[in-house]
Parts: sequence; structure tokens; C-alpha cells
Amino acid sequence: MTVAVERRTRNVTAALLASPSLRLVGKRLLMAIPITLGVSILTFWVLNLVPGSAAQQLLGVEATEEQVRALEREMGLDKPAWVRYLDWLGGAVTGDLGKSFVSDQQVTTLLGERLVVTFELVILAMVGSLALAIPVALLAAYRPNRLFDRLSMVVSVSGLSVANYVLALILVLIFAVQLGWFPAIGYVPFTEDPVENLRTMALPAAAIAFPLFCFYTRFLRGDLVDQLLGQDYIVTAQAKGVGPWRVLIRHAFRNSSFGLITVVGLNLSTLIGATVIIEQIFAIPGLGQLMVQAINTRDMMVVQACVIVFAVVTVVANLVTDLLYAVLDPRIRYGSS
Amino acid sequence: MSGEPTARRTEEVLDLALPTTARGPSPGGPLLEVRDLRVRFTRGGRVVNAVNGLSYTLDAGEILAIIGESGSGKSVSTRSLMGLLPPSAQVSGSAKFEGTELIGMPEKEMRAWRGAKIAMVFQDPARSLNPTMRIGAQIVEAIRTHRKVSKKEAAERAVELLKLVRLPAAERRFYEYPHQLSGGMRQRVVIAIALASEPRLLIADEATTALDVTTQAQIMELLVELQQRLGTAIIMISHDLGLAASYAHKVVVMYAGRAVEYASAEKLFANVRMPYTRALLGAIPLLDRKTHELLPVIPGQPPDPAALPKGCAFRPRCDVATDKCLEAPPLKEHEPGHWWACWHPAGSEDTAAGGRAGGRADEVRVGSARQVEDGA
Amino acid sequence: MAAVDAPVATVAEVDAPRPRRAWARRLSLWVPAGLTAFVFLACFLGPVVLPIPAPVGGNVLESSLPSFSPGHLLGTDPNGNDILSRILHGGRASLFVAVTVNLIGLAVGGLLGALSAYIGGKVDTVIMRVLDVLIAFPSLVLTLAVAQSLGPSLTNTIFALAFFSIPAVARVARAATLSLRELPFMTAAELAGTPWWRMLLRHIVPNIAPQLITFSMLGMGTVIVIEGALSFLGLGIPAPNPSWGNMISEGQASLSATPDLVIWPSLALFVTVLAFNLLGEALRTHWSGR
Repeated sequence: MTVAVERRTRNVTAALLASPSLRLVGKRLLMAIPITLGVSILTFWVLNLVPGSAAQQLLGVEATEEQVRALEREMGLDKPAWVRYLDWLGGAVTGDLGKSFVSDQQVTTLLGERLVVTFELVILAMVGSLALAIPVALLAAYRPNRLFDRLSMVVSVSGLSVANYVLALILVLIFAVQLGWFPAIGYVPFTEDPVENLRTMALPAAAIAFPLFCFYTRFLRGDLVDQLLGQDYIVTAQAKGVGPWRVLIRHAFRNSSFGLITVVGLNLSTLIGATVIIEQIFAIPGLGQLMVQAINTRDMMVVQACVIVFAVVTVVANLVTDLLYAVLDPRIRYGSS
Repeated sequence: MSGEPTARRTEEVLDLALPTTARGPSPGGPLLEVRDLRVRFTRGGRVVNAVNGLSYTLDAGEILAIIGESGSGKSVSTRSLMGLLPPSAQVSGSAKFEGTELIGMPEKEMRAWRGAKIAMVFQDPARSLNPTMRIGAQIVEAIRTHRKVSKKEAAERAVELLKLVRLPAAERRFYEYPHQLSGGMRQRVVIAIALASEPRLLIADEATTALDVTTQAQIMELLVELQQRLGTAIIMISHDLGLAASYAHKVVVMYAGRAVEYASAEKLFANVRMPYTRALLGAIPLLDRKTHELLPVIPGQPPDPAALPKGCAFRPRCDVATDKCLEAPPLKEHEPGHWWACWHPAGSEDTAAGGRAGGRADEVRVGSARQVEDGA
Repeated sequence: MAAVDAPVATVAEVDAPRPRRAWARRLSLWVPAGLTAFVFLACFLGPVVLPIPAPVGGNVLESSLPSFSPGHLLGTDPNGNDILSRILHGGRASLFVAVTVNLIGLAVGGLLGALSAYIGGKVDTVIMRVLDVLIAFPSLVLTLAVAQSLGPSLTNTIFALAFFSIPAVARVARAATLSLRELPFMTAAELAGTPWWRMLLRHIVPNIAPQLITFSMLGMGTVIVIEGALSFLGLGIPAPNPSWGNMISEGQASLSATPDLVIWPSLALFVTVLAFNLLGEALRTHWSGR
């Protein structure tokens, strides 16, 4: 058997190299580039729809025409849009996203610290929602149409109809105002005080996670029950004498997990969108808050950078989802014979 | 490691697989005794009677064929033996396996029997294997469910089983996924899983239906060979009378949840009495028939199990039905070893052979592996 | 091979979650439909028929009245405006935005998707790649940017939301059309020399309509939530005009003292979105004939 085990590892590597999944990786990577470019062009175009000039905005109404012109020249705003786009793109490729119109700081510096905060929020929400959704869906699917199942369905259907900003306020009302368990707003960096950091992040993460939890529970429970009722390999496993939990987890859940990965990936853009408004409500200094501030001060460079970062993260996340799927699901990994 | 199992190797494996079990019919009583088995489903207020009083016996090492059209209750009846029906099913009657009552057995106890004493092979091997698990892991799971052996031992045993079912390059296949195998190879794997704990009874639920004709014959030969060598009894469920004629010792013909004819294969095919069985036989193309002659088919549709006709369920489609048939004919042993449920059995004065031509040419599967072989 | 028996399907079918009785099924369609109709009627007819004060220009002497005060069923906000009136008028704006956005999305996205699938080849590839770009956007993020660029107003909100509802509808329409193309009647019509616009309007559109309408019901809910988010951030319907989003946002400041200000518009939002979601779900079940 040791021979066979060695052969197994060799088989896996060889199969991976020759397999369709590697071709898929290449294809997806190639597709991600034009999508990212398209996103940046679109952003640039949309932000340049603004009536009135950014320089005018910065200087205020009293500024003379010469002053405005001078500032425009300084900011490079006198050049045609496509030249400015190419300039910006050239910088972006080398990691230079320009300077903030308002604070004169490097945009990359501003983004850096904020990105970490938003990243933590996203991860907390994602992990939290999955950690809760998986056991709930398994329990619901264990005995379909019984009390727990129905209850979980009612919760997830109504949960999907609650806007996250409403949910955020309800959470604040209950857990901050009434019970005082968590702070209503504010943020403490993780490096400063990990415990306090998690306490400040708890409510915002929950506000983002709850709708996701509802969505994942519904999806997973549906997929599990469909398999339990309709798939022959489930009956095969039962006919082996395998216990119900093992059938549910090793057979049904294993198959559902691939679909779940896709759903999680596709949901990521919604998740990122949610951080914008939730960070605003809880005064969390993340990317979303930075963007809303920049929008209000017409800080174009920063808005642009934020939108691009959000878009790139979405594209990359979708790419990673596809790849994970390809690497994990043997049906794709090995192609069919 | 060539991977190709020689006959000698198979013998060794068989010795391993067969420590003590007797290879013939067991001396004390039948292996399985089914008495008045009934299954019904209640569904949104509608009652569906899937099985209405089915009885048969099966000795160790015997092959029993249960023949019937879609919805005749043949699959449901065997699944009820293994407790594999959904909770909405109500099962009554008796099914004694080696003297132990299976019907009403608590789920936990039943689980210890499933796979260990009674195993099942399903119709479509493409669907009955988990697509995301390696073949080896699926066999190992079957072994380790019933025996506390190490993973390594189980893996070795799994490879032996793969060789036993004549899967070429068993060691390599062990690490492959179902979609990498052909249909026939997959069915061999499913059989290997079923044999993992050396069951006394193997239920083959349309095990060859989804396969092409050549593969069908190979799988049937494999099953028969295993039955002869391991002494495993087999219940084969099929809608193909030809298959039953070729391989089975005993045949139960089911219609609308009831057995309508039951006898040894020899007796039954020598002298088919039930008009339904006769009609089934008539729908098989035979070499002595004229070419381009239309196959006689059974007119009408199988009855809706939720609304069975009064009396004999076959009455609306039967050539020889009379008013007498409004009363349900009991299944009786009219001749020694030959049971049928009919007031006007074929061979008696008022019966005409054959059926009427009509719409449902697809209802009965045409041809059988053995006949094709004979023809070649 | 048509005689292949399907024992498993038989068993599974029997165990499928019990098909609900006819009345239960009808109920699950008519309750959300009735609820949706109620929301529309209340918002558009309510302020006309019922003796409800105007949503703006309230009397400061009547400011911050609690709920169930005489003359002000749900109380008043700090400016003395009647909350019920603001909710109903805010609902008008939300529903108007949602309906317009979805109509634009259905028309443009539906035609784009159907055409893309019908023409196929390079055109299809190009259209789908462009839509991929749009879908890659976190739509709320860019909607915010658009709303800010163009300035907060009803028209701009509709424009921004419609723009991002198009790709999703187009994808659904494309998938539906692709599966439709396989059907024989399409080939038959094509062979009969039916011109492409006629194929599209007579054969494709009526057949993909159920799927699109189902999808747009779920889209109604989404648009209402996003419109609320824009208004919440001050980038949607500009104050003092009421919208559920800006009412919730205004109430946030005094959340602990007067939670009513947040609770009523939140409840309106929840009920409306739930009604649309349930209606979409029921229509899906209804049309899939389960």
C-alpha cells in the first residue's frame, strides 16, 4: 500500500499540472485584466461627469478665474480626460494612486491603514455568518419540515428583507443602548487592545453578517434537502449502513460545499457594499468611511482609488472563488474521461 | 503490480472473502421470508398504495427476480426491507431475514444490518456513487461502517474487492473519482461496495438497466459468478422478463403492488398462466418472429397506485377480463410451486394468446442480454 | 431506451416536501400579492383619501409628539411633521424609484440579454464581457459615486440604480433565451423565415417574461433597500422631502430617546421588501409548476 500512497501523491500533482483546472486558471487570469481595466475606465468616466470643476469646488465661490486655472494646471485637470486617465493608469500600475486633493497625502498611504480595518470587518462578517449558517442548515436539513427547519426558514426569509442599516440601528438600540454590552460607535485598533477591538467590531460585523447568514442558511439547507431526497449516492450511503449525520456531512454537505464556495464568492460584492454604510453608522475608519468622506469633500483622487480598490477586490475574490472551486471539485480538477 | 487479476489471484481473494459461509442453500429455513408486505404513502391527504400484500421466500444463494412495470411497487418493496423508505411510508406485514423480523425494526438496529447482511446495487451507477469522493474512500467507508479495522487494512481490502469485481488496474482506480470511469466500471465499483461486508443478500435494483447491452451481460455474469462463489442470494429487480428467464431461479411478477404470478423460473416460463405475464412476454422481440412485424404491446397505462381499479388491477388492460374480474383474484398455489392471481389463466378454455397492438411500445424493455448473445 | 424505470425518482417524489394543499399554495401567492397591493394603495391613495397632514412644513408647536397622539397616529418628528404622512409620501418615492428602475432594467437588460443570446457569436461575447465589467462593480459603491457626481435628486437616483440593475437582468434574460433556443418551435419559426424582431417580440419575450418578472420582484426589494441606503447617506432623495432612508437617518441621532422615529420607517421598509420577496418567491413556485 505504501507504493500506492506514493503513487497517489504523484498522481495528484501530475493530474493538477495536466488538468483542465490549470487551463482554467490561465483563462480566468486573462479575463480579470480586461475587467479591471474596464472598471477603472468606467470609474474615471463616471467621476468626470461632475458638472463644475474640482478646483472651483476646492477654492470656493470667491476664487478668481485665474486662481482656478492655476490650480487646475497644478492638479493636471486642464489636460483632456483620456490623457489624465493614461497618466493615472501609468501611476496606478507602479503603485502610485496620486495625491489627495484635500489633505495632500499620498492616496496609497490613506488607503493602506483603512484597508486593514475594512478587511477585518469583512472577514469577521464572512466567518461569523458561515460559522453560524453551516450548523443551522445542517440541523434544519437533518429533519426537514420539522419545527427547527421551519423556524430557521422563517428567520432567514424575513432576515433577508431587513436592510442592513436598519438592522445596525436595531442592534445598537438593543445591545448598546438597552443592554450596554457593546459600544454604539467607535473603533480601537487590534494592535492596541485586541479585546476592545473585537468589542467595537462585534455589532458592525453582526449587522453585515446577519443577512449573509440568512442567505447561506437558505441556500445550504435547500441544497442539502434536495440531495437527501433526490440523489442516489445518498441512498447508496444509507444502504451501506452509514449513520444519518455522517450521510448528511460526509456525503450531502461535501457536495454542497462547492456550491457554497461559489455563492460566498458571488456575494462578496454585496458584502463590500455593505461595509460602506455600516462603517458610516458605527464610525469605523475603514475604506467605506473614507470613500463617503471623500465623496462629500469631492476628493476625486481618493474616491477614484476607493472605487477601484473595491472593484479590484471583487474581481480578485471572484477569481479566487473560481480557482478554489476548480482546485477543490474533483469533477473539474480531473475533467471527465 | 500488473493490476490485471488472474484467476488464481481471484481465488485467493475469494478465500479471504469467504471464511466460513456455506455455499449452498442453508439447511435451516429460508434466508428471507416475506409475508403480506404492504407499503403505503400518505401524501397531502392522498393515499398511495405502493405495495399491497406481497409474499415470497428466498433461500440462501438463490436468485429471485421481481418483474414489473414502472410503479408496480417492486423497488419500494425491497427498499422497505432495508428501511430505506422515507418516514411518510407506512410499512406493514412481515419480512423475516434469517428468522429476524425486519419490518418495524428500530432504525438504529436496522443500520447495523444495512450493508452488513443486506446490500443494494442501484440502477444508475453514474448517480449512485458520490461524485466528490474517491472510489477507494467510498469502499473503505462501507467496510469501516461495519468492522473496526484500520484505514490501511480497509484500503487493502477495498483493492481486493475491486479485483474481485474484475475492475482492471484496481490499485490505480482506488484513487480515482467516479466520473473518470466508464458506466460498466462504475457499476463494478457499486457492486464492490455492496460486497464490502460479505452480505448474505444482494438486492440489485435495475442494476443493468442504465448500461449498454454488452456491459449489461458482463455485469449480470459477474453477479451470477459472485452468487455462485460467495453463496450470496440475489434479488434482481427488473422490468425485463428476458433477463429473469436467463438468470433467475425464481420469478415474482408484480402488477400494481401485488404479486400476480410466482413460480420457479422453469415452471413459469414453461407455462405462463397470468395474462399480464403473457403480455409482457409477448412484447419481447424474438428471433423466430417475422422481421418488420409490429411487436404486440400491452394497451393502456399502468394504473395509478392512488386510484386502483376495482377487483383485478390488470382488468382494464386485459384481453380476457370478464365481470368476474371485478372481484380481486387471490394469489393461490394453483399447481404445485406455481402461484397466480387470475380467474382466467392462460391455457384454460377461454383464453386467447397474445395481446392487442397499441400505443405503449416503450413500456416493456425490448430484448435481453442473453437473447442478443444467443442471436450473435 | 425510453422504458428505463426510475424507481428512485418515484421514491423521492413521494418524499418530496409534501406538496401543500391547494389553498395553502394559493394563500402563499395571494397574501404577498395582497400585501404589495396594500402598500401601493396606502402610499398612493392614502394621503389623498385620508385626512392626513402634509409631510413637510409641520407646526413646530406640535414637534416630537409620541406615537398614537390624537391627530398624529404615529406621532411627529422634531420639526412637527406627521410621521405617518412622511412614511406614506416617502413610500411613494421609494415605490416610484423601484418601479421605474425595474422597468428600465427589464426593458434594456431584458432586450440586451435576449438579443445577445439570440444573435450569439462575437456579439454575444462582447456584450457579456461588458456586463462582466458592470457586475464586477460593488454597485452600491459606484451608485454612491454617481449620485454624488450628479448631485442628489430623484432622477439621478433612478439613473444610477437603473444602470446597475441592467446587467443582472440581462444575464437572466440571456440564460432563459439560450435554453429557449433549443426548443423545436424556435427552429420551426426560424425556418419559416420569421424576421429577427418578430422572433424576439413574438416568440422570445413572451416566453422569458415569467422568469424576468420573478427576478424583478426580488429586484424591487433590492432597489428599495439601496435607495434607502442612498437617502440614508444623504445622497438619494434630498431632505426635507421624506424618504424612508432619510427618515431613518434623521431618527438615528435621537435613537435612544425616541426610537419611534427609526422604528416606523424601518417597519415600513421591512414590510414592503418582505412583500416583494415573498411575491417573487411565490411567483417562482407558481410558474415552475411545483
